[in-house]
Amino acid sequence: MLSRLRDLARTTTGADRVLLVSLLALSIYGLFFVQSVMPKGTDVVIEVDGKKTHRLPLGQDRVITVHGREGRTVVEIKGGRVRVTESACPNRICIKQGWIDRGAIVCLPNRVVVSVRNESGGESELDAVSR
Amino acid sequence: MPHENILHRGTVRMKKMLISLIVMIVAVSCNAGREKIYRDSRIAMDTIVTISVVTGDRTQAKTAIDRAFAEIERISALIDFFSDNSELSLINRNAGKRPVRVSPETLELVTHAMDIARETGGAFDPTVGAVSVLWDFTNRIKPDRKELKERLKLVSYRNVVVDSNRETVFLKKEGMMMDLGGIAKGYAADRAVDILKEDGIKAALVAVAGDIRGYGLRPDGRPWMVGLQDPRPASATQNILAAFPLHDMAVSTSGDYQRYFESEGRRYHHLLVPSTGMPSTECQSVSVITERATLTDALSTAVFIMGPEKGLAFLKKKGYEGVIVDYYGRIHVTEGIRDVIEIKRPGPDNDRS
Repeated sequence: MLSRLRDLARTTTGADRVLLVSLLALSIYGLFFVQSVMPKGTDVVIEVDGKKTHRLPLGQDRVITVHGREGRTVVEIKGGRVRVTESACPNRICIKQGWIDRGAIVCLPNRVVVSVRNESGGESELDAVSR
Repeated sequence: MPHENILHRGTVRMKKMLISLIVMIVAVSCNAGREKIYRDSRIAMDTIVTISVVTGDRTQAKTAIDRAFAEIERISALIDFFSDNSELSLINRNAGKRPVRVSPETLELVTHAMDIARETGGAFDPTVGAVSVLWDFTNRIKPDRKELKERLKLVSYRNVVVDSNRETVFLKKEGMMMDLGGIAKGYAADRAVDILKEDGIKAALVAVAGDIRGYGLRPDGRPWMVGLQDPRPASATQNILAAFPLHDMAVSTSGDYQRYFESEGRRYHHLLVPSTGMPSTECQSVSVITERATLTDALSTAVFIMGPEKGLAFLKKKGYEGVIVDYYGRIHVTEGIRDVIEIKRPGPDNDRS
């Protein structure tokens, strides 16, 4: 562990470390921010490098593999929830986040965002209903 | 020592970068905590009122919401048709006898109601109270024909005298009854918005049941999204007819599903034609969109009474927007909102002309 840290110190520049810390901080921050903002929903949207690759119903169990900057990310939808089971990223925050049924899982290193959204006609996306 | 290496190499530049990074993260976090939607629902005006405000200050949100609710309660007490203590009751009790001096708010609301009655040629008529009291939708009671015919003589906005100098309202014929139920909720929503703006709230959404007024943007920078109830929903969860962004606008809906009973295959609902005292059969629901909820509330009733053809022509002429679901369930949308409204109900019979 200590030797690894030494390696890290030798092979990286100050800017590298700033970048590393900022990415880490941003992904942790994003985790909390997105969770608090997103409504409970029914669709799973997967985005890789800012592009939407999948839109799938949360109610249908399946496993999807996408390829990000670092490599594979495996997403599992099961029982109305979704999680990341495998990821090529170094920090593996996305896997540690576990199951979600609202909000999003953001894997910054691999540029993969898995979010649960409701845009299929339910009421929860609406701020009010005129009836 | 490797630690010393890390700390000493890079020095000033790295420190600067770290500091700016921390400042950036703190700024972003604070900003996210700042803009939030505070929402409170309470029962007022015999319905559910929901007020949502956007602010970063919890205390400000609470104070503003409390004040807005207090204003709605105050308006409600002034114009409650069923309370003996309201100014409206006083006006009705003195019908055919004498003009009644009222508060500026009641005077303003009655003036609005009279303007809209004239504008819609009596399709909206606040004096419909004389016949609406003959109906009981909870206990499925239709009025006696003779009595209805007799009472219809008491329905006409032309027999209301508003004196703005003396601040009085007078119903000319004894037995006349003014009912502001078709405009009061919208007015309350407008008054609540005035209070929220006074309190420095930059964005808010006030929903007095289906009478909704919104201004400003949500914390995510998007306008408020408002749905319209489907008058004949496919299921309990698929009950939204359409949705659209409500940006500095108000919307109200009048529908034949709100208060009704069915008898011998006919639906009897609360939207009465002022000239006949019977429910209007031309529409299932009407939503009107324009700047003020006082207007949308009364106009949704008026356009419902007019029917789809005359109603659409009226909306177009006056520059109001709206959605009409006619007797056959066909959806008509005015031109101005066709590009922003999203029809949520599946089906091929949507007439967008």
